[in-house]
Amino acid sequence: MAGTSLRTYLVTRLALVVPMVLILLTLVFLLMRVAPGNPIEAALGGHVPVSAIKQIEHRLGFDKPLLTQYGNYLWDIMRGNFGRTITDNRPLSQIIAQNGAATLELTFFAMLVAVGVGVVVGLVAGRFRDTPLDVFGRLFGIVVYATPVFFLGLMAQLVFGVWLGWLPTSDQASPITQALLQTHTNIYFVDAIWDRNWPALWDVTKHLILPATTLGLATAGIFIRLIRVNVIRTLRDDYIEAARARGIVERRVVFRHAFKNALVPVITVVGLNLALLLGGAVLTETTFNWPGIGHELVLYLENRDYTAVQGIIVVFALVVVAVSVLVDFLNAYVDPRIRY
Amino acid sequence: MVKRRFRWLAAGSALVALTAAAALTASAYGGGKAGSGIIIDGTTDTVVNIDPANEYDYGSFTVDLLIFQGLFGFPHGAKLEPVLATGCTHSKDLKTWTCQLRHGVKFSDGTPMTSADVKYSFDRVQKIKGDQGIWTLLTYLKSTTTKGPYTVVFHLSHPDSIWPYILSTNAGYVVEKSKFPANAIVPNTDVKDLVGTGPYVLSKYTPGQQAVFTPNKYYWGPKPKNSGVIINYFSKSSTMKLALQQGNLDMAFRTFTPTEITAMKKTKGLVVHSGPGVDIRYLVFNVKRPPFNNINVRRAIAYLIPRQDIATRVYHGTVKPLYSMVPKGLPGQIDAYKMLYGASPNLAKAKAAMKAAKVKIPLPITIWWTPSHYGDASADEYVEIQRALNASKLFKVTLKSAEWAQYSGALGKTYGAFQLGWFPDYPDADDYTVSFYQPNAFYNIGYNNKQMDKLILKERAAGNEKLRLKYLRAMQLLGAKTLPTIPYWQGTMIAVSRSNVNGIDSTLDAAYYMRFWLISKS
Repeated sequence: MAGTSLRTYLVTRLALVVPMVLILLTLVFLLMRVAPGNPIEAALGGHVPVSAIKQIEHRLGFDKPLLTQYGNYLWDIMRGNFGRTITDNRPLSQIIAQNGAATLELTFFAMLVAVGVGVVVGLVAGRFRDTPLDVFGRLFGIVVYATPVFFLGLMAQLVFGVWLGWLPTSDQASPITQALLQTHTNIYFVDAIWDRNWPALWDVTKHLILPATTLGLATAGIFIRLIRVNVIRTLRDDYIEAARARGIVERRVVFRHAFKNALVPVITVVGLNLALLLGGAVLTETTFNWPGIGHELVLYLENRDYTAVQGIIVVFALVVVAVSVLVDFLNAYVDPRIRY
Repeated sequence: MVKRRFRWLAAGSALVALTAAAALTASAYGGGKAGSGIIIDGTTDTVVNIDPANEYDYGSFTVDLLIFQGLFGFPHGAKLEPVLATGCTHSKDLKTWTCQLRHGVKFSDGTPMTSADVKYSFDRVQKIKGDQGIWTLLTYLKSTTTKGPYTVVFHLSHPDSIWPYILSTNAGYVVEKSKFPANAIVPNTDVKDLVGTGPYVLSKYTPGQQAVFTPNKYYWGPKPKNSGVIINYFSKSSTMKLALQQGNLDMAFRTFTPTEITAMKKTKGLVVHSGPGVDIRYLVFNVKRPPFNNINVRRAIAYLIPRQDIATRVYHGTVKPLYSMVPKGLPGQIDAYKMLYGASPNLAKAKAAMKAAKVKIPLPITIWWTPSHYGDASADEYVEIQRALNASKLFKVTLKSAEWAQYSGALGKTYGAFQLGWFPDYPDADDYTVSFYQPNAFYNIGYNNKQMDKLILKERAAGNEKLRLKYLRAMQLLGAKTLPTIPYWQGTMIAVSRSNVNGIDSTLDAAYYMRFWLISKS
């Protein structure tokens, strides 16, 4: 019975994905076309005769009725044909593979930073509640959460790149590394390990530090507060009192017992914060010239590239939805009360 | 317990050793410093299409310039010279052009170039009619034929005295017919198919990130002065400036803000190089839309434009006041607007013009500009224009802006007075006059002047250069008199480099080519 219930829950969650993505696709389609201008005018206006622009628009179907364009668009999506960008003739699949990989690399390491910093600071703050350590931890969490990520990035570039000269301020790797590195996965960190190219690995790691730390810190604030609250609550539980009464040392009580239980709700939050991370990645990527999918989205939006923007947002949506479904499934698996 | 501690100690030591080893070996990469002989350039330009049949933006042109060539070009400065051709002759009516090809030219895969490749290249551009619009430069080309392996004949529908200039544009770049499909564009990442006759081969292209060039071993001309070029793409000039300062770039070309350029002039280890530019900025009027349909209103504005203030206050001297739609330095240029309206604002004459206009004073007008397409300084540029016009008490200016994607589609359709910039297809006065003054020009402003139309036809049919320049001068004067546009600045070609980079100054000229093959490092 419990197994059937979990299956039903999973199927229902997956079925809900379809209307969710369809609504999003429709909204993006309409918003892009309602906004004035189109990619051909953006590319050729101010230089090419109007008659030529009209010819090109006709060839690309921009003069067709909106409903026809929408129908063609949905039909292409259903066949898995995300098309090519209008402004630079790139297949969407290439953008997703190449730039998506760069975003994955950045968000993965940013999440490591977010969880690492969040857990450590949250734990210390919770353990040493109402002490200077707690005050510092909470203040730190609020500051990094409230500071716009691009400002954090700019400050990081200024301090560590310009004043101290310790770290590079942009790109995934130095120009020579980029030119020479063989791309297998488009995740430079993995590709360098794949080729056992240690100098390249070090170069790539140095380039990762500032953007990943910037993006990670911006998200760490949430984890700090959440873990702190959970640690405080858990330390008040009866079984903790019982452990202390049995004479177990405080360090062991905190790390072996309280901490693990305090972390359980964090798993849900980590998954849900992926959406936050992807949003922050857009700004971080622009600040650090990181060639991720968010960076490309900004450029294509400026040029009203319908195909590119629609495709990238669909990818974002599918990733967020997939993670959300996975997190819900894990929660339902762990806690049967959550199921339908 | 002891065992556990030892385990931690061992792990810690291994980590330290690994880090040290990585740091030592990292010195081979120098933390991102350039490899010997390779020039690393940064730019904020973007690449749309490398295939010349659908390339019509400067970022793509910069890539193409290194790997493709046309029958004519600007290999040594702003003077048009034969490149893949040795010369062209034309019929008396300027409708048939016969060009002799250079012998011994090979593509970068070793295949000899012949007239068949040239014909194929032109046919291809016209057949594909790419959505970037480069085919519009070949509007007059009826057909291309060949006479043997080294002669190409172009048959035009109209007399065209500037046909050799068209041959220098990327619409005329020669591609290898076995590599480029007749009716499709080669994707940017298919580097093995992007084969040309230029000094370099595109060996790797990562969209939005990097283009890597290595010398073409079959190149017929002088060897490049470097062992390769890497162009790195940046979305923000501030990030590019940081990369240059940190030594991750050898040079950067296009486009820094005026403030950044001023700061870099004072930065140790960096050199700011500048030369004549060919980009211009101008104010456009829809001459059918009130109040700009009144020539005296336009005259009054022409008397008040604060060119010097814009050049100094907004652009910190990186642009020069411009008194013609044709930038200074191009043959045939005359300062037509200076002749008619003076070098600096003249309030008395502006008042007289407004009196003759018989309009309400101060006259409320709206001027449109666009925030990002022409650089961040556009806002300040138009604030200066607004300030000058308002201070005259003859106008009450409202400034409005729209992002480029919307702005470019609206232009003369919606706006009465608006900002535009121009970058030429070819550095000749023709491209700065005909493009603006012909009927049904691209910006939809309703300008239609019979006298100008005659001048255009005469210029295009001019049998010799002296005559052609005479007509070009007449067009500039008439344009200044009838005022569909008011030019106000001409850019300079600016590149910034580390102090060990040589040869940049030799490539800064009115052709606006960054000839990377002339650049080296000491």
